[in-house]
Amino acid sequence: MKKTVKKVLALGLSLIMVLSLAACGSKGSDEPAQTQETQETQEEQAPAEPAAEETEPAAEEEAAGGDLSASITLWTYPIGNWGDSATVESLIASFNAAYPGVTVTVEYLDYTNGDDQVNTAIEGGQAPDIVMEGPERLVANWGARGLMVDLSDLFATEAGGEIYESVEKACKGSDGKYYEYPLCMVAHCMAINQTMFEAADAMQYIDAENHTWTTDDFFKAVQAVYDSGQQNVGAIYCSGQGGDQGTRAIINNLYSSTFTNADHTAYTANTPENIKALEALYAQDGINFDASINGGEEITLFRNGTLAMAFCWNAAQQTNSDNAPAGQTNNGDTILPMLFPSDDGKTELCGGIWGFGIFDNGDQAKIDAAKAFIDFICNDPGQVKESVKASTYFPVRPTLTGIYDGTEIADTMNTFSAYFMPSMGDYYQVVPGWAEARTEWWNMLQRIGTGGDVATEVETFDTNANAAISAAN
Amino acid sequence: MNSGIKRTSVYTIISVVILVILAVLFAFPLYWIVTGAFKTAASINATTPDWFPKEWVMDNFNKLFSRQTAPLWELAVPFGSKFSADGKPIVFSAGPVVPAAIRWLVNTVFMAVMAMILTCITSAMAGYALAKKRFRGQTLLFTLIVCAMALPKQVILIPLLREMSTLSLYNTIWAVIFPTVGWPFGVFLMKQFSEGVPGEMLEAARIDGAGEAKTFIEIVLPMIKPGIGALAIFTFINSWNDYFMQLIMLNSTSKLTISLGIAKLQAENSTDFGLIMAGASLAAIPIIAIFIAFQKYFTQGIAMGAVKG
Amino acid sequence: MAKSSNMTSRSKALVRRETRSAWLFLLPNMIFFVGFVVIPMILCIYTSFFDSTMGKDAQDTFIGFQNYVELWKDPIFVRSLKNTFVIVIVSVPVVCVFSLWVAALIYKMKGPVLSTFRCVFYLPVVTGSVAVTVVWKWMYNNYYGIFNYVGKGLGLIDNNINWLGDERFALWCIILILLTTSVGQPIVLYVSALGNVDVSLVEASEVDGATHLQQFWKIKWPLIMPTTLYILVITTINSFQCFALIQLLTSGGPNHSTDTVMYYIYYSAFKLYRYGYGNAMGVVLAIFIALLSAVQFKLAKEK
Repeated sequence: MKKTVKKVLALGLSLIMVLSLAACGSKGSDEPAQTQETQETQEEQAPAEPAAEETEPAAEEEAAGGDLSASITLWTYPIGNWGDSATVESLIASFNAAYPGVTVTVEYLDYTNGDDQVNTAIEGGQAPDIVMEGPERLVANWGARGLMVDLSDLFATEAGGEIYESVEKACKGSDGKYYEYPLCMVAHCMAINQTMFEAADAMQYIDAENHTWTTDDFFKAVQAVYDSGQQNVGAIYCSGQGGDQGTRAIINNLYSSTFTNADHTAYTANTPENIKALEALYAQDGINFDASINGGEEITLFRNGTLAMAFCWNAAQQTNSDNAPAGQTNNGDTILPMLFPSDDGKTELCGGIWGFGIFDNGDQAKIDAAKAFIDFICNDPGQVKESVKASTYFPVRPTLTGIYDGTEIADTMNTFSAYFMPSMGDYYQVVPGWAEARTEWWNMLQRIGTGGDVATEVETFDTNANAAISAAN
Repeated sequence: MNSGIKRTSVYTIISVVILVILAVLFAFPLYWIVTGAFKTAASINATTPDWFPKEWVMDNFNKLFSRQTAPLWELAVPFGSKFSADGKPIVFSAGPVVPAAIRWLVNTVFMAVMAMILTCITSAMAGYALAKKRFRGQTLLFTLIVCAMALPKQVILIPLLREMSTLSLYNTIWAVIFPTVGWPFGVFLMKQFSEGVPGEMLEAARIDGAGEAKTFIEIVLPMIKPGIGALAIFTFINSWNDYFMQLIMLNSTSKLTISLGIAKLQAENSTDFGLIMAGASLAAIPIIAIFIAFQKYFTQGIAMGAVKG
Repeated sequence: MAKSSNMTSRSKALVRRETRSAWLFLLPNMIFFVGFVVIPMILCIYTSFFDSTMGKDAQDTFIGFQNYVELWKDPIFVRSLKNTFVIVIVSVPVVCVFSLWVAALIYKMKGPVLSTFRCVFYLPVVTGSVAVTVVWKWMYNNYYGIFNYVGKGLGLIDNNINWLGDERFALWCIILILLTTSVGQPIVLYVSALGNVDVSLVEASEVDGATHLQQFWKIKWPLIMPTTLYILVITTINSFQCFALIQLLTSGGPNHSTDTVMYYIYYSAFKLYRYGYGNAMGVVLAIFIALLSAVQFKLAKEK
């Protein structure tokens, strides 16, 4: 008995020692460099390395980036196929061909928890080096908090000079510094289940060729689809911020109002037009304010035929063929992308502009490597088309044309270029305090959905959101 | 008398029927996860539920395993990244590359076992001291422990995060383990058990000339063994399910736990229920297998814990 | 005189030795307890007096009790505090009563049947809340969830109910899941506690003509009292830890109807970037919980 106890104790003690060793060991591996991507890039490089050593002088001449040596992390939101590891790995492989000394580790974020994940990492002292998203996060949030590196020098390049002015403006913080270098953009639109609309004889309200409709026709069409037995036509989803641009766009466009003022210094949700739109949507049969779903889940419901329209849509959704052929729902119905209905015939679509920002982690070597990465991905003439194609969105420079030529999705992309991109509206998501304001937005929709008075709730939104602006300044 | 018996049996029958219905409800989520993992996409997305897979497919698992990959394990030089040339940790042993989901399972098991072992050792020692020693600060310490026992970890979320960052433990499995070990419930439980050790035995050991360590190991430990068993099970399951600390402290693919991994799968692929179910069954099946295999010990351990506590 | 002073110094030495050895035994645990519970708690109290936010140039400014004052004016906080206590006050007694009922029914059953039931009720605990949530989310779904499907099929409801999207139901839906993931352990505990009740006592009372109810209250209940207290403690702890369900199912919505203080702290920190405010909430919650634990403990001691 005593002997066993001693044995157990000895075992326990040795375990503790091993543990404390392992603890230290593990500490070392915390630096988020050693994930699978690193391994793979290392493997990819492995055969190349001996060769490079043999011909050292030549190698030095060959690549300007050869002397850069750092290990950087890239966190991407699911922007088209930039959320797909196979695609991103191939992009990184081409980067590593030019810059063999830089290892890039990728983490994939989602729109539900991604922000929290980045925020905890910032507080945890392990912010990523590069993050791929839009100005509302890179510029208005992390940039405004002084966490990002100024990217003016990238805009000073030849390619940087070609970027559309409106896009460039969106990438600039209120302090005049650039916190995002853009790669691609899209205009967010909506979509309808054409098969259902046909069955309900509602296509008469739609200008299918130009993808437009008026506010009156929109409500008539919804009513017609509802009357045909489709209980759920559309959902004003508001469980969280995912896809919230769709709910803002439908509300702002119905009676042609705006979300912020022109200088982006104050929120203007509290207009008679917006209130009218909210009240009309709330009263409409078949439109539910659904606090149990977000934009992504709305799309799921639209794809499986539960909903007849989706307010969260864009070119990438239209060309998505994960569960059904592109442009079709899971049960084979036709999906028709549409502009948001508008009473003045001039729809303003919410844009998405995606690109890269660099977190200032205090290590110049990493910042340089990160800039080299961005420069290569967005500016290298041989690479940029592939990078944009991976996003399944549109380039931010007029000189980049014919990206999708010869691909299966060329037709769809041309349709979007022709009918949707020109309606791109004001990019207002760069207001200071944006992160807090958008939280207020879906909270407001939840209150209205549960019977809150529209006028009061919209005013509450404006008050709180404007308070966030002054707090951020 | 007669009618009394009748009433009782009627009551029993109704109760048992309700019990069976409840049991079905309790088992249903697991049933749905496991069958769902083998269903086709069409079957799982059907608007009228398919109660049983018409066709068993491995697609979902194939998809789950063909996603990201990670080395099965990694052992690195302590603080290697601080002095390596490119800021990378110096890994001296990395396992073969496997699907990330497998790595998550390894991480979770490691985390739960470590938390369990550390908690049991430290709590048993501390509980004994609290129960059988008289010392300065005892009342204060015990009050502190009782008050902190039910404290949710969310309360100290921000300071803990900053602390882990300072200790460069953030994004390591240790950042999840250490606060679990520090959580004072174990000490409380062990104190309750140690109260049951007769003082005369300790006195006798002392007269025999046994040192403190010897007394603890040879007399106290064997007597509180059932309590340690109960605590071990409790800690293991709690730490396996402690989603919050994992969510806050871990972020890179190779560091995730299985719970966190599924939550991420769910957020990334709200469309792909099959994939999520595959992940969820991967998370659930090992621990259920452990549970069923050790059911006797589980229930005995838990039950003994309560009798004394 | 000399003798007694000798005694005191000897006992003093003894006390000192005892204290030293006690703290040596406590040391390993104290490293973790102080390091990862007490110190963060002190930091938490400290930061709660500051206006603290994320950002490189962000300076914490001392604002005294302003965060605390604001808390009580914040309807969301008051609501989340209420929700927190609703969860605890509902789930703790329900878990106790339900598990006692189940245990009373099954503890006399034959071995395999007993262990099957015990196992089934324990399943949600071991499955893990995240995995369980995946299924519950689908079951509660507004459009194709099983509750609406079955409810409509049986004619219990006319229209689909948006379980998680409706203020009236959301919190109760969360509590229901919490219950299923909480009763496993109490049932196991009660089964063995009831099994340990001395049969001769029960038989003796039967001879005396006691009814089942009397038997239960007079004999069994006092004997299983320690188990009940233990269950109360672990269930309270469990209910306060309820975070994953809320974060994964409702994110506190709709309209903060499922916000608990625990979730609202997370929300303030990482959605609103208000660290000081979040910490103030933590302090308030900690005070409430400490009081509750103290009361519970005192009651337990008296019994």
